[in-house]
Amino acid sequence: MAKKETSENASEVPLNKLVGLGRDIVQDIQMEHSPSFYTPVRSRSNIFFKEEVGTLTLGDKKEKRTFVHVSQAKKFMQTVAIASKLKSFLEQGLHTSIRGLYYQLKFSLGEDLDEDLFEEQSESNPLIEDLEASLDLKREDFNLSTDRKGVVAGNMIIRDKFGGEESVIDASKQGRSGWMIPSDVDNGMEFVDVNADYVLVVEKDALWQRLNEDKFWKKNNCILITPKGQASRGTRRLIRKLADMKLPIYVFTDCDAWGWYIYWAIKTGSMNLAFLNKSLATPEARFIGVTMSDLQNYDFLKKLTINAKDVDIKRAEEMKSYPWIARHKEWVEELDIVLKTRKKLEQDALQGQKLTFVGEYVKNKIESGKVLP
Amino acid sequence: MPDGNENENGEMVSPKHADDIFEEFKEHSVAEFFTKNKQMLGFSGKLRSLTTVIHEYVTNSLDACEEAGILPDLTVKITELPEEHMLVKVSDNGPGIPKSHIGRALGQMLSGTKFHRYMQQRGQQGIGATGCTMFAQLTSGKPIHVRSSTGNGMIYECNVSVNVKTNAPLISDVTEYEGDFRGLEVTAEFADVKYDRSEYSPLEYLKRTAIANPHAEIYFVDPAGKKVRFPRVSQMLPDRPHEVQPHPLGVEPHVLYEMMRISPARKVGSFLTSELARVTPSKVDELKVVMPDFDFDQPPQNITWNDARRLVNAFKKIKWVAPSADGLRSIGNEQIDVALRSLLKPEYLSVRSRPPKVYSGGVPFIVEAAIAYGGSAGKHTESGISTEIMRFANRSPLLFDAGGCAVAKAVRAVDWKRYEIRDFDNAPITVFVNFVSAFVPYTGAGKQSISSEPEVFDEIKFAVMDVARDVQRYLSGKVREERKEAKRKAIMRYIHQLAVDLPLLANTGTSEELEKKLTAVVFTRFKAEEAEENEEHKTREIMIEESESEAGETAENKIEFDEEDM
Repeated sequence: MAKKETSENASEVPLNKLVGLGRDIVQDIQMEHSPSFYTPVRSRSNIFFKEEVGTLTLGDKKEKRTFVHVSQAKKFMQTVAIASKLKSFLEQGLHTSIRGLYYQLKFSLGEDLDEDLFEEQSESNPLIEDLEASLDLKREDFNLSTDRKGVVAGNMIIRDKFGGEESVIDASKQGRSGWMIPSDVDNGMEFVDVNADYVLVVEKDALWQRLNEDKFWKKNNCILITPKGQASRGTRRLIRKLADMKLPIYVFTDCDAWGWYIYWAIKTGSMNLAFLNKSLATPEARFIGVTMSDLQNYDFLKKLTINAKDVDIKRAEEMKSYPWIARHKEWVEELDIVLKTRKKLEQDALQGQKLTFVGEYVKNKIESGKVLP
Repeated sequence: MPDGNENENGEMVSPKHADDIFEEFKEHSVAEFFTKNKQMLGFSGKLRSLTTVIHEYVTNSLDACEEAGILPDLTVKITELPEEHMLVKVSDNGPGIPKSHIGRALGQMLSGTKFHRYMQQRGQQGIGATGCTMFAQLTSGKPIHVRSSTGNGMIYECNVSVNVKTNAPLISDVTEYEGDFRGLEVTAEFADVKYDRSEYSPLEYLKRTAIANPHAEIYFVDPAGKKVRFPRVSQMLPDRPHEVQPHPLGVEPHVLYEMMRISPARKVGSFLTSELARVTPSKVDELKVVMPDFDFDQPPQNITWNDARRLVNAFKKIKWVAPSADGLRSIGNEQIDVALRSLLKPEYLSVRSRPPKVYSGGVPFIVEAAIAYGGSAGKHTESGISTEIMRFANRSPLLFDAGGCAVAKAVRAVDWKRYEIRDFDNAPITVFVNFVSAFVPYTGAGKQSISSEPEVFDEIKFAVMDVARDVQRYLSGKVREERKEAKRKAIMRYIHQLAVDLPLLANTGTSEELEKKLTAVVFTRFKAEEAEENEEHKTREIMIEESESEAGETAENKIEFDEEDM
């Protein structure tokens, strides 16, 4: 019985916030004011790097969303429709995707109006973000799930309450496939036991499979995660939660601007989700490699570089312009080498000489402390 | 100045001036001359000839009724006869013509029935009606038939034609009988005429006559038997124009010639001082200096057409006190308003009757302008709506020769975009302009087009700009209103769904209550916005007026009247 209560408590906050939003609006109308609510500005002009916490966050700028304005009336009405629908999801304890939500709200506004509440999903997506930002909650808190991406293996036991049932997951017993990280690792999820020395995040699934086959996580007592490219919200949230358990976080990506950007999105959070970075970013994360300086230490890698593409160069230039990256001279050096040589190096290249070298490389880096901030 | 005027068939007609006319016929009969030059009376082209006939009879009827203080009731009927002949019948409820005068009025050119009463009238020269008689004679070979009564219980009927050689009336088939009738009814048969429903047609002519004469009731039956009634919309008779003596700068040679022919004066000098305005003995002395070889002591009855022409030229070389503006009779704002409203049922109408101005250094005139927007305003054709310019001179519609007319030119010279009218040619607009003067500066003997004297052109343009400004105010207000309405509607359509979702979200309130209150909030909000916009709008209007009064300065030459006119 106690367990059930926690699950109810989890959805109580979002539910109350939604109802509160509705009450404020109703009150406006009853006093014959133009109803409105405020939401933080999510554009680039209001995104700042907060040095003391080490994440990208939204500034104080707020936007007023009001109904009695010709360009906002529809969006306002749509936002309330979404909020009302989310409330019903929470009350029923049902989950859906943002696409599912869109279909729930795609209906005609009335026989005499040749218009649907929502015509395209592209209309509802930003309004969901409005609600997340103005209520300071994640969409997962509203029972909205996103596509799963990211796999984990390691000594970690989780209790998952879902669809009225409860199952216990042991991430050390998932064989070759690992446990797929769900979009929500907060609501209805409980970490029963986590027994590891650190967390290793590997960009590519192929490398994760390599290390899994090598029983790297068993031998080195770590939790092995792959976001399979850019980390999803669920994966980022899981990394954050593991960091909260004081586990060191190491990230291992390709030696190119894209791989490095994956690292920085995990570390400082991304600009798109700046309003959520408080719960998604992991400033404690450290970077293992691959680095351009590895070419110096591992001779065989020199022959395995490939040419950087224009997008890599562009991304490198962008990263150099971000103050939160430019403040680390190690990173400026790395980026300068990319811009100078126009070369890059994939994680996979580490297998060039010997397949199991990957594990050795990682172990070496961690033990020697040769990691980048 | 154009070298000629286009008639409705696009042919160029000779721009012969009256000067030339009279010089040529000196010894011949006036009638004979006009027989050979009938285009000068407006008898050129089949369409135009028919409209000219209607014009002559209708203006005579209206003038007669007004002079007698009678609200005019006119009936115009055109019937098609075999061999493309047309029968025109025009009757009025006017004072009628006494039987002793009928011949002179309808069968003799320049008979002196009208011109010596020099006043602002529609017809002026005593040529028109007799011209129609001659035109009937020439084309159908038949005299006109007249039925007249002064209201004394006796009706007089006869046929009238003109002896072209002698310019003498021929009366025949006279009957006289008792009957209850007052007025004049003229029936004339013509060939070489054509009826259609174009903008040059008798129907259009009568429609415009009705607009400029709201006190007249006009009933029209066309050749197909279709009946159109233009009801009287005003019971107010126009003030009778004062008889004024011709001013030296306004008199035409043939008028001067005829005046001298019938003058009782013994010497040209005394004729001038007694029968023309503003001519004093000292002015005659000035004229003598200009015309040293001319004998001012000869009897005026002796002088030739050419002498008259030389005198008129000499008048122009001397400074004169301006003629009195007393004789000018405009239609007036109210009358134009009621006439245009009843006929065009416009969405918006602005009328402006302006104060008198002078042209040619001394001729007073008044311009009245109006713009009707929407409703039946503008020309409505199958291909859509286009702008219509209605020109009038002393209440008489000018249908022909629009191209060279100062009115058309001045209207086109207005920068319409400035008045919220982006596509002027295709706007639902009727522009009305009435030019009022005892001396209308026509471009030709056809009297269908006003010459672009600088002061005339400017004054017409400013009058039109005056009313255009009102239209602009109306249109920008309308556009604003429409935009606001669209905005309001755009918001209103979402009220229902919002009111449905809110109680579900908030666990409080009812949809009915919220929907009602939201509607009220939206309405109040747009009221407030309107007030703000009006503030902005005011400053804009002031700016426009300022810039225009600057432009207007040059044209505002004031009339200098001497004291007796004040």
